[in-house]
Amino acid sequence: MRSVFSLILLVVIGAGVVFTLSSIPFGSTSSDVGEYYIDSGRADTGATNIVTSVVVGYRAFDTLGEVTVLFVAAIGLGAILAAGRENEEKKKAEWEPASLVLYTGCRFLFPLILLFGAYVFIHGHLTPGGGFQGGAIIASAFLMVYLGCRKKRISKTWARNTESISGLVFVVTGLTGLAVGGHYFLSNFLPEGTLNTLFSAGIIPIIYIAIGLKVGSELTGVIDDLIEESE
Amino acid sequence: MVNPVLLIAVPLGLAFMVPLIDSASRKLTRFVPVAALMFNLILCIRLIPAVLENPIVINLGGFTPPFGINLFVGPLGLLFAGLISLAGLVVSIYSLSYIKNGPVVKYHMLYMLLLTGATGVVLTGDLFNLFVFFEILCISSYALVAYHGDRAGIESSIKYLIQGTVGSGLLLIGIGFIYGIFGTLNMADIAMKIATVEQSTLFVPMILMVAGLGVESAIFPLNAWLPDAHSSAPSSISAILSGIAIEVGLYAVARIVFTVFGISDIYLFFAFLGILTLLIGEMCAFAQSNIKRMLAYSSIGQIGLILFALALATNNTVTGGLFQLVNHTISKGLLFLSAGYMIYRSGSMEISSLNGMGKRMPLTSLAFTVGAFSLVGLPPFAGFPGKFLIVSGALLKGQMVINILVGLVLLSTVIEGTYFFRVIQALYFKDGNGERKRAPATAVTAMITLMILIVALGVYPKFLADFLSSASSDLLDKMSYVGSVLK
Repeated sequence: MRSVFSLILLVVIGAGVVFTLSSIPFGSTSSDVGEYYIDSGRADTGATNIVTSVVVGYRAFDTLGEVTVLFVAAIGLGAILAAGRENEEKKKAEWEPASLVLYTGCRFLFPLILLFGAYVFIHGHLTPGGGFQGGAIIASAFLMVYLGCRKKRISKTWARNTESISGLVFVVTGLTGLAVGGHYFLSNFLPEGTLNTLFSAGIIPIIYIAIGLKVGSELTGVIDDLIEESE
Repeated sequence: MVNPVLLIAVPLGLAFMVPLIDSASRKLTRFVPVAALMFNLILCIRLIPAVLENPIVINLGGFTPPFGINLFVGPLGLLFAGLISLAGLVVSIYSLSYIKNGPVVKYHMLYMLLLTGATGVVLTGDLFNLFVFFEILCISSYALVAYHGDRAGIESSIKYLIQGTVGSGLLLIGIGFIYGIFGTLNMADIAMKIATVEQSTLFVPMILMVAGLGVESAIFPLNAWLPDAHSSAPSSISAILSGIAIEVGLYAVARIVFTVFGISDIYLFFAFLGILTLLIGEMCAFAQSNIKRMLAYSSIGQIGLILFALALATNNTVTGGLFQLVNHTISKGLLFLSAGYMIYRSGSMEISSLNGMGKRMPLTSLAFTVGAFSLVGLPPFAGFPGKFLIVSGALLKGQMVINILVGLVLLSTVIEGTYFFRVIQALYFKDGNGERKRAPATAVTAMITLMILIVALGVYPKFLADFLSSASSDLLDKMSYVGSVLK
C-alpha cells in the first residue's frame, strides 16, 4: 500500500516537473542579465574570464557566502569528530610503511601539484578555473601525501591560521571597498590594469588567491580530520 | 548613515578571526560572540529611524540590481535582524558559563556563523544569495545539534541533516526553474515579471521552493526532524533553533509567497496548513513527558499559529503574527534557557524530575513560569497582544471558514495552557528532593533580561506594534518593494 502510494506521488511530481521543464526556455539567449554579463563583463570588472567576472565581480557576495558554507562544513565536521572522540578513546592502529617507489613518487609530485594549484587560482581572472578549483587541486596534493607517505602530517595550527587569515583578507578587502571605493561593500578600489595581463582586474586576483588558500587549507583540514578518525 | 552590510560582514569577519584570537588569548574567545552581537544590536537600533522613513537598498559591489546582488533592509528585515541580534546576544551571555566542555572554540564559531547566516537570509534581496545564507544557517545548526557528541545528538543531527539537505536541494531546483523562466535571480525583478508568464508554469517551482524552506521552518508535514533535534541539542542551541532558525525559515516562505510570487489564491491553503501544524504541534506537546521535547513540539504549534496569521494577509493579522513571533523568540528562548539549568541540576529531562524546583531554584523556576504564561497568552505578558491581534483581525474578515479556524486556535490555546500548567504545578506544588543551588550569574543575567522584555512588551505593546505595522506593510505591499529596489 505504502509503495503504491509513493509510486503515485512520484509519478505526479515527475509529471509536474516534466511539464514545467518543457515550458522553460533553458539555454536560449532570452536572459537580459546573461546578455549584460557577456557584453559588459570585461569593461565592468577587467577580468578576461567572463565566469570569473560573474563569480568574483557581479556576484562576489555570493562567493563570500559560499566560502563560508565550506568553512562551516569543515568546522562542523571537526566539532563533531572532536566531540565524538572525547566520548570514546580509541587505540592507534599500526601503519604499514609505503613502498619506496610510492614514497618517492609522492614526494616528487607534491610540489608540482602545489604549483599547478597555485597557477590555477592566481590566473583565475585570465584562464578557466579559479579559487575553488585551485584550492581543491592543492588539497589533492596533500591527500596524495597522506595516502602515499602515510606518516607525514600537516601542522594543524598552520592550516587553521591560513584558513582564518585568508578568510579575513576576503572580508577586509570587501570592507576596504566600502571605505574607499565608491562606498559599496566589495566594490573594486584598485586600478583595473590592462586586459589579459596578470596584474589586472583590480581586487579579483586578491580575492581568488585568498579563496584558493582558504579552500586548500580547509579541504586539507577535512582530510586530516577524517584520516585521524580512521586511525 | 551606517551601512547595513556591516550586520553581515562584521560577525563573519570575527568568526573567521576566532582561531587567531584563541591562539592569542584563551579567555577572550568566548566573549567574541557577545561583542559581535552587541555590535549588531546597536547597529540595528541605530538603523530604525532611517528604515521607518524609507527602506534601505544596498547594492553590493556597486552593481545595480538586477545585475548585482542587493540587500533590502525594510522594517521587516530590520525586525528580524534585530531579533536575531537580541536573542543571539542573550544566549551568548548564557553560553559563557553553560558551554564548558567539548570543542568550545568551534562552538563559538559555528554559533556566530549560524546567526550570520540567519541575518543574511532576512536582509538579502537575491534569490540565490538567500539560498547561500540559508545553507550557512542550516549546516551550522546540523553541527551544533550534535555538539555533545552523544548517541542521541548524532542520531538526531543525521536525521536533521538528511531532511534538511533534501529540503535545500528542492529549494535549489526551484530557484533553478525560476532562473530558467525569468533569466534573473533578483527578487524584485522576478516579482515584477511574474505576471508575464502563465500561472501553471509557476506552480511547480513555487511548490519546490516552499517545500524546501518548509523543512527548516517546520511546517507540517515536513517537521519530523524538529523534536529530536531541538531536544538533544545543548539548551542554548535549542533556544536559538526554536527562537531564530525556524522563524527565519518562515520569513523566507513568507517573502517568497507574498513578495516574489504574490499569488493570493493559495493564501487560504497556507491558513489551513498553519492550523493543522498548530493543532498537531500542541497535541503532541501535550503527550510528552520529556520537558525539552514538549517545548520543541510547542514551537511547531507556535509556528503554525504564526503561519495562520500571516496567511490571512491583512494588516492586523500580520501585525499580530509578527508580534507573536517576537514573543515566541523571547519566551521560548527563556523557557529553553531556564529548562537548561533545571535539567543540568536534576540530571534528567523528565518533567517528574523537576518536582519542587520552585524551592530549589526559585529564580529559574520563576523565569520558566513567566515564559510559559507569556507563550500561552496571559494578559500582563507579551503573548497577549499578539494572540489578541490575530484573533480579532481574523474575526474582522467575517468569513465562516476563518471563524471556524479561529475556534481551533482558541482550542489549541487551551491545550497549550494545560500542559504548561502541569509543569508549573510540578515546579511549585510537588515535593522533590535535592540541594538548593542557584544558576550562575551569566545565566541569571540572560534570564532576567528576557523576563524584563516580556513584561515590558506586555505592558507597552504599542511601541512594538507600531513598528510591526510598518513591517507588515513591508511584507504585503509588493509594489513598493519592487519600486524601491528597481528605481
